[in-house]
Amino acid sequence: MKILLIEDDREAASYLIQALDEAGHVTHHAADGETGYAMASGMDYEVLIVDRMLPRRDGLSIVESLRAENNKTPVLILSALGEVDDRVTGLRAGGDDYLTKPYAFTELLARVEVLARRSSPGEGATSFTVGDLSLDRLSRKVERGGEAILLQPREFRLLEYLMKHAGKVVTRTMLLENVWDYHFDPQTNVIDVHMSRLRSKIDRGFKTPLLQTIRGAGYMIRE
Amino acid sequence: MSSLNRFGQLLRTTTFRLTAVFILIFIVFSVLLLAFITLQSSIIIQRQQAADIDHEITQLQKVESTKGIRALAFAVDRLAAAPGPGIYYLGDANGQMIVGNVNTFPSDVLHEEGSHSFNYDKPPPIDTDSTDLTDPHPAGYAVVQTVSLPSGFILVVGRDVVERRGFTAIIFQGFFAGVIGILVLSILAGAITARRVLRRIDAINATSTTIMTGNLSERIPVTRRNDEFDGLATNLNAMLDRIESLMQGMKEVTDNVAHDLKTPLTRLRNQAEAALRDASGTEAQREALETTISESDKLIRTFNALLMIARAEAGAPSGALSDVDVSAVADDVAELYGPVAEDEGLTLDTKVTAGIHLRANRELLGQALVNLVDNAMKYGKTGEGAGKITVGVREAEGRVLIEVDDNGPGIPVEDRKRVLERFVRLEKSRTEPGSGLGLSLVAAVARLHKGTFRIEDNGPGARAVIDLPAV
Repeated sequence: MKILLIEDDREAASYLIQALDEAGHVTHHAADGETGYAMASGMDYEVLIVDRMLPRRDGLSIVESLRAENNKTPVLILSALGEVDDRVTGLRAGGDDYLTKPYAFTELLARVEVLARRSSPGEGATSFTVGDLSLDRLSRKVERGGEAILLQPREFRLLEYLMKHAGKVVTRTMLLENVWDYHFDPQTNVIDVHMSRLRSKIDRGFKTPLLQTIRGAGYMIRE
Repeated sequence: MSSLNRFGQLLRTTTFRLTAVFILIFIVFSVLLLAFITLQSSIIIQRQQAADIDHEITQLQKVESTKGIRALAFAVDRLAAAPGPGIYYLGDANGQMIVGNVNTFPSDVLHEEGSHSFNYDKPPPIDTDSTDLTDPHPAGYAVVQTVSLPSGFILVVGRDVVERRGFTAIIFQGFFAGVIGILVLSILAGAITARRVLRRIDAINATSTTIMTGNLSERIPVTRRNDEFDGLATNLNAMLDRIESLMQGMKEVTDNVAHDLKTPLTRLRNQAEAALRDASGTEAQREALETTISESDKLIRTFNALLMIARAEAGAPSGALSDVDVSAVADDVAELYGPVAEDEGLTLDTKVTAGIHLRANRELLGQALVNLVDNAMKYGKTGEGAGKITVGVREAEGRVLIEVDDNGPGIPVEDRKRVLERFVRLEKSRTEPGSGLGLSLVAAVARLHKGTFRIEDNGPGARAVIDLPAV
């Protein structure tokens, strides 16, 4: 995947570029807002990672300008400002996701990969299938191997989110944000407990488990 | 402060300026009023005089027609001799005066019937030993009516208007005396009021100066007059109380941060050093690094909690508050934590009145509730038959009460206030994970929403109550 990173902290940038490279992505780097904006509007990237506070031009204005030019490249905003209202202004400016510093690289990687998928078709799909597990978004029915599985509304949304991003790692905070719509720190293993309940419903009694725990990162559903 | 300087300050006070403006407005209105009165009265006097003149002429004509010209001459002579503004003249057709007190008329007055007005030489008063010897013929202004009698004689009856003008002059004099009096009194009153105001302001300024030099415990004196200055002083004092408590809080936080962040930072550093020294193998190094990451995650968590508290304490911009369904937030949190509670052998119930709305920060309210449930789960599970947690939202007497109950050992009365402080953890062993910031955040969130947070007895157990004003 081709990624543009606009970040003025050289050390943080070189670490990120290396880590993204190890994950199999090609990353270009811009160290200030003007260069970043020129590169973003001149070249075709799959995801932009934009620091909010940059020299010469601030991150939000880059995103706003790109959106005004009808550039729909997904943007992940990085910021040291993590309050709810900061997040809201970031997303309102046209950002697709918002990550507060300091962050774990696994968290950033998971979000970048999910964002890239977002620009590909499948977003508006009415049903998802992973192996013999299928989920119908309209009738809200879940089946595995032809057998209906009864899920609670929240479990359905969890599974829906996982299947929408099948084959990608989703982190616990991503689940809390997207399934519960809260951005706070859940403190304990709340998400894990919900996931283990979901797992017992969709994987118990089947030979191949679909729902996998990715150590140190989160969860993934795949064949 | 020199007295001149002091006087200048007096002139610059708002009170004094206001007084000056009012005086000006008063004078303008008085002039307008006076002009109106003068105009009105002169019109009335004029009409009255005209009527008087007409009446006298009618009377005199009657005298002439009934008793003859001699009686008329006699009557005119008597009237002319009386002191006052009256002007009388009786003459023959050739303009020769027979009787009267004025002889110097412009020629047309005697030849044309009707009203005339003109300047004339006033004869000296007959009845007094004239004090005005320097000017025996003062200028007069006459308004007269000329009638030509059937017998061919000319009768002129009129009034000297100069006296009427004297009346207007008296009104003016009175008015000016009044205005000057009022001016003097107002300036005096303004100065006195301004001085009083200045004295109160000086007291406030003196206190502010003391405070600015570092003595935060100083307060502005409040009198028993209960006026607007006392209102101001009370508010300023309340503000100072808040500042003082914030400063106190900040000092505590710095102390706490020094202790509670330095300890894990030291641990972190030690682990990294140990890993670096360890030459035995990659597995041990890997383990040490993983511990390092989880330690730093804990630190970040503590740091975030501190920042969140600071933000909530500072008060959120009003834009960050929106209409929030508090009942839904409570249900969300209960739903989120239900499975966790169940796994730990606890029961988590809800007693939520549906559809209670507030202007609130949904995230912070959610976080506060999560902290309370988390606490109840940690500390409410020991004890006989314990493990029952209830999340409740209800409305009572204009308040919205968000409650989290447990039936564990509860919190002793003497500790209920202390646990709200930052980094305070009651269990000495610190076996349960946690930063000791959970309840401080709840308290800060409650304050942000203009409410309070308290811990009550649930007999047995603890009841944490976020008490917010209803919309």
